[in-house]
Amino acid sequence: MTIPDGFPLSAARLLRRHAGWLGIAPLAALLVIAFAVPVVSLLRLSFGEAGFTLEHFVRIATVPLYRSVLLTTLTISVLTTLLCVVMSYPVAYLMATVGPRMRAALIVVVLLPFWTSSLVRTTAWIVILQGNGILNRLLMGIGLTSEPVAFVYNLSGVLIGMTHVLMPFVVLPLYAALRGLDLSTVQAAEGLGARPATVFFRIVVPLTAPGAVAGATIVFMNALGFYITPALMGGPAQTMISQMIADNVGRQLDWGFAAALSTVLLGATLVLFVLFQRVFGLDRLFAGGGGTKSGEPFRLTSRGRTAGGLFGAVMGFAVAVFLIAPILVVFPMSLGSSPFLAFPPTDLSFKWYVSFFENSKWVGALVRSLEVAAVTVAGAVVLGTAAAIGLDRIGPRWRRVLETVFVLPMIAPVIILAVGLYYLFAPVGLVASIWGLAIGHTVLAAPYVFITVRAALKTFDPNLELAAIGLGAPWGTMARRILVPVILPGILAGAVFAFITSFDDVILALFLTNIRTRTLPKLMYEGVAHEIDPTIIAAAGLIILVTVLVLALDLVLTRKRS
Amino acid sequence: MKSRAFLAAVLAAALAVPTVARAADEMVFASWGGAYQDAIRKAWLEPFAKATGAKVDEDTGPETAKIKAMVETKSVSWDIVTAGGGGLMRGVAQGLFEPITADMVKQDDVIEGARNPYGVPSEIFSTLIGFSTKAFPAGGPQPKTFADFFDVKAFPGKRTLPDKPETVLEAALLADGVPAVEVYATLSTEAGMKRALDKIAALKPSVAVWWSSGAQPVQALGAGDVVMALGWNGRFQAGMDSNLPIAMSWAQQIPQVGYFMIPKGAPNKATAVKFLNFILKPEINAELSRHVAYGPATKGAWAHIDAARAERLPSTPERLKNALFLDIEWWAKNGAKATEAYTAMIKG
Repeated sequence: MTIPDGFPLSAARLLRRHAGWLGIAPLAALLVIAFAVPVVSLLRLSFGEAGFTLEHFVRIATVPLYRSVLLTTLTISVLTTLLCVVMSYPVAYLMATVGPRMRAALIVVVLLPFWTSSLVRTTAWIVILQGNGILNRLLMGIGLTSEPVAFVYNLSGVLIGMTHVLMPFVVLPLYAALRGLDLSTVQAAEGLGARPATVFFRIVVPLTAPGAVAGATIVFMNALGFYITPALMGGPAQTMISQMIADNVGRQLDWGFAAALSTVLLGATLVLFVLFQRVFGLDRLFAGGGGTKSGEPFRLTSRGRTAGGLFGAVMGFAVAVFLIAPILVVFPMSLGSSPFLAFPPTDLSFKWYVSFFENSKWVGALVRSLEVAAVTVAGAVVLGTAAAIGLDRIGPRWRRVLETVFVLPMIAPVIILAVGLYYLFAPVGLVASIWGLAIGHTVLAAPYVFITVRAALKTFDPNLELAAIGLGAPWGTMARRILVPVILPGILAGAVFAFITSFDDVILALFLTNIRTRTLPKLMYEGVAHEIDPTIIAAAGLIILVTVLVLALDLVLTRKRS
Repeated sequence: MKSRAFLAAVLAAALAVPTVARAADEMVFASWGGAYQDAIRKAWLEPFAKATGAKVDEDTGPETAKIKAMVETKSVSWDIVTAGGGGLMRGVAQGLFEPITADMVKQDDVIEGARNPYGVPSEIFSTLIGFSTKAFPAGGPQPKTFADFFDVKAFPGKRTLPDKPETVLEAALLADGVPAVEVYATLSTEAGMKRALDKIAALKPSVAVWWSSGAQPVQALGAGDVVMALGWNGRFQAGMDSNLPIAMSWAQQIPQVGYFMIPKGAPNKATAVKFLNFILKPEINAELSRHVAYGPATKGAWAHIDAARAERLPSTPERLKNALFLDIEWWAKNGAKATEAYTAMIKG
């Protein structure tokens, strides 16, 4: 009944049975060649470079330092994840309950931290949080404290820095889930006399949990691999395992030990991930919005905000200020003339902007970054979407395995992948070309698209597909007219994540590019062991400015059209 | 829009394919970018190209790990790479560098503590005390020795120290009264290592920042977050040149040597050797300190440096009298263990 006329029955059945694999194959092939091969070839060094040995693992087990670092890594990752989820709810609520223009502005605020390189972000945070920083001067000025509070170079510094940059991963899926919430459910509860807190904990949280959990998973896995933020904003007590892995790969040149640390990290993460799946169930992890799609989407009703709603809105606003704060200090800082960043700047000068445009290396690196990001987004979107669609059409056992396998690139230490890819690419001439780098970035970025599209697919009713094909629509037409419009938000969110993954990467660029193909982040990190060239602040200022202008222009044009 | 970017990407990739045919005299120099590489370019690369007609290309990011990957995959594209003593020794241990014999480069003029069979010293920089002149103004007591750095009674206030043990263990033992010549022998004993770690542990309550990037101590001093820092002279000097309220004490210092090496399998070894000989000529060797506050590692260079410039440099014969050179061989042998113990101490 669902087979179009004139289509040979057996071939159609064959295609139906294997269509899923057709979608999965390209991403699977990429991950085998450009992820599994290079990473495994390095990880096996953990069992010795010449003969088999367990000495590296014995060292990890017997020296207390490594256990404590692993524990610190897990603690910081868990705390960051919790903070991200708790702080994302008010923002997502605010986004869902304001007008479209305000919502657009909020989306910009949420995404802007992504757009600035991690080096610029952490520098801005330190200027705000340090002993004589903006926040402490403010607190002492209004008499809340007489002594400067230590916000940075300790646990709070790390949590602030990491939560700030990882929060968008929760806000976006949570916002989608909130929009998928049926307004009548909330109204019914309110009509029956439920207080705001009851509505939130008994209705909103359970129905949006899948979105929050999807975001939280991304945050947790990302957090495990952080090392630039903890190195710059934390103290020694916040040393994370990726710092030690990078130190052993790059500085100590002890690849066997670095591989052993990576193996332990990967193993621990995988165990946690599988346990997590057991407890929460796979479908919930990858589910997007909750509830059915028949009702009116969640928004503010004509009755206005309840007391609880007002509280949520105020908190949402506060979190938005937190997200935008470092961006706001970047501009004034970029206008000083001293090579040592100060806020407020002692004088006004466009020196660093002039330096950006005068020196072709900065403009060249920016263009290169955009090129690599464009290729990465294209590759990740095609491969990730195809795999996500394909996965629905294969048996549940394989589905479970592949869902885990496809997110592995998110948890493997990037420096291990970088070194592995160098060995893979050098013989075929792909080092120092933007293609090699783009392939590496696609490996890192495709899992994001895969996850966001999987989440979006949960809201797609497969009966619609059957109906369309039953009515004679070819698969391509069905996909274009029915499937893609439904999963488009997921694709777009994945594309944003893919862009950022590529645009902010330093480590792959360090190994896979040279002076002619270097990207902006690589250029920013050059010489950073010695000094911070304020041109990077100007570069960040320009990127933010362009982003805001493009979005503002889009808003103006949208209004004209309507 | 996207398709145009894609097209541009294709074009860029086509242009990025390295040229296979090389002219006779060519060389690729790879260092850490930023102001440091700018200084080397002006002092040495451009004059070398001018004097010999060689074409000098530059690259950045000579991570030891990347050199290792290049050497092992036989895709070495660099002829000269730069590193500190630690990077040099780790590379030597893995066989990544060409030996530099006396037949290739004559290093008679290089000062004793800086010679190495696999590298030509490019400069000397120092770890020493930098302090806030707001906290310790001229006229009053100012910190001078490492003992002063560890003395929170005489010089109260927060400190910043490197988050890696190199130079800190040495400074701790010197502060504790160990004579310079006995520092490494003492550190090699378990009791000596414990003595150094205990000395630093006692200072921990006064340490506000354990820095990981050379710019941090200057930033922290300038912002008033700390009053004293163990850091690099070149960075303190840059802060002073930008009118930050900072001064350094030359009374005691731990100099380190920067090196230029030839990676094994470098495509233009002959030109690289020519270049290494070029930078050791006294008048050329003196040029680098004109652009960055690092001292020459040769004796002859001083004849070409005036008193005003020498005032900024760590390796004047006078200042080297109070110096304990970082022993890179000791660190190559004991670095992993010492780092483990140091990290555990500051973390715990």
